[in-house]
Amino acid sequence: MARDAVSLRTVDLLGIFWRSFFIQASWSYDRLQSLGFAFALLPALRRLYPDQSELSSRLAVHMEYFNTQPYLASFILGAAARAEEERATGRKPDLDVTELKTTLMAPLGALGDSFFWGSLRPFAGAAAVAVLLTGAWWAPLLFLVLYNIVHVGLRFDLVFVGYATQGDVVRLLSRYSFTRLARRYKAMSLAIVGCIVGTISLWEPVFRPAVAVPSPGLAAGGMALMLALTALLRIGATPVNLMIGLAAVCLVCALGGIV
Amino acid sequence: MPDAHIITQVLIAAVICGIIGLDRTALGQFMISQPVVAGPLTGWLLGDVTAGLVIGGTLELIWVLDMPIGTFVPADSTVAAVAATAIAALGSSKPGDLSVIGFSLLMTVAMVPVTMFADHLMRQRNAQIPELALSSGGLPTVAGVTTWHLAGLIAFFLKSFFMCLALVPAGLILVGGFRSLPASFSRAMEVFVTLLPLLGAASVARKLSMHTLDRTLLAGFCIGAVSVQLFHLPELAAIMLAAAGGWVGVRSHGA
Repeated sequence: MARDAVSLRTVDLLGIFWRSFFIQASWSYDRLQSLGFAFALLPALRRLYPDQSELSSRLAVHMEYFNTQPYLASFILGAAARAEEERATGRKPDLDVTELKTTLMAPLGALGDSFFWGSLRPFAGAAAVAVLLTGAWWAPLLFLVLYNIVHVGLRFDLVFVGYATQGDVVRLLSRYSFTRLARRYKAMSLAIVGCIVGTISLWEPVFRPAVAVPSPGLAAGGMALMLALTALLRIGATPVNLMIGLAAVCLVCALGGIV
Repeated sequence: MPDAHIITQVLIAAVICGIIGLDRTALGQFMISQPVVAGPLTGWLLGDVTAGLVIGGTLELIWVLDMPIGTFVPADSTVAAVAATAIAALGSSKPGDLSVIGFSLLMTVAMVPVTMFADHLMRQRNAQIPELALSSGGLPTVAGVTTWHLAGLIAFFLKSFFMCLALVPAGLILVGGFRSLPASFSRAMEVFVTLLPLLGAASVARKLSMHTLDRTLLAGFCIGAVSVQLFHLPELAAIMLAAAGGWVGVRSHGA
């Protein structure tokens, strides 16, 4: 196994970073991101294994079942690249890369889902909608900036952190306090959503409920309706059902001359 | 007989939907596929930004916390936003027609189970892709992995493209019928649209808090209502104040 030491270059890790954006291109129920992981790791594997048959066998290893949060996959990609380097150069010839991936994918999946889908995206969405309701056309751009500064920045950094730490999650968590940040994003999202309802009388005219109620009454009515809808969602109603129900109520009110 | 202009616009909408739909799962995930971006972008390209902004703004909060965890595939808010915007832009006689926007939203949202089923079928078929990447010797090759993995993008594109291509013409036919209904139907759809941001707010509150009346949410409400109605603070300042309040509040509780 030992051969002339070939180590990965920055350009190889940059190649992995670029390909990480394609990690879910062939997402399926059976293998999830398996083929995407092998595809993203190709710049490293090609560098480390010039022999085609060895390259094929290493590709086969990385085509086994794999699934995690797609952004935090960057950390595992960096760690796997480092593990392949250790293995290919003979420093740790028996290193089990599959075990490393299996160990990391579940906890990072849970962490990433909670942070990105459960806190950062709602925060960016709530901020953008709040701004949109004031009539600002640039709200979609605000959403993209708020979200992607964190998303792309982390994806880039995590490839290098994963490589440098060899997949050490403790060092990852000491660098980024995902749980603490998630709690802050969630709190800010809730506060902004509350503010959206509180400023109902100042919404852009196309959004503002056109009913003859003074501003404080409108805000209180908006809050009451929102709480009622929240209660319905809690007891099992779905957003689609509630939308259809709201439309039906509006139709009855319109036909009855109430609105 | 539909004119060539409408056919071209429907095809443009379907192509937009296919491209933006890639961002949803297969490529990048920069969140261009979120309704608050996909709606206005589609509206801008089809000549009715207002419809896109209204549809994107109303749908965003409703589905923003539908999370693609494990094998769960959430409601396809991208197809809903793009198709609703296209129907509203192409089906109304004036830009930003709130009643047509409301009707378009209702139609596309009612079709969400169909779009989810299409997504499900496509992902089932993708299971064959890893096998195709293997050579005759049973081992993968670089060319096989690269080609077949990227071929998955075509499947994701086609799924969104064809869903939009089916939904928009059907929606335009139904909008034609809707516009001939009595005025009270239009009025109902106008009120419906104005209430949707509250459903979005409820949806976020439901997923982010264990309590129906969350303290942070209530604090944000008070900040918004008091600062703009009593002190006439600009809305943007009130939003930033509320966000800062949420940040400080959670910090004071040790997070």
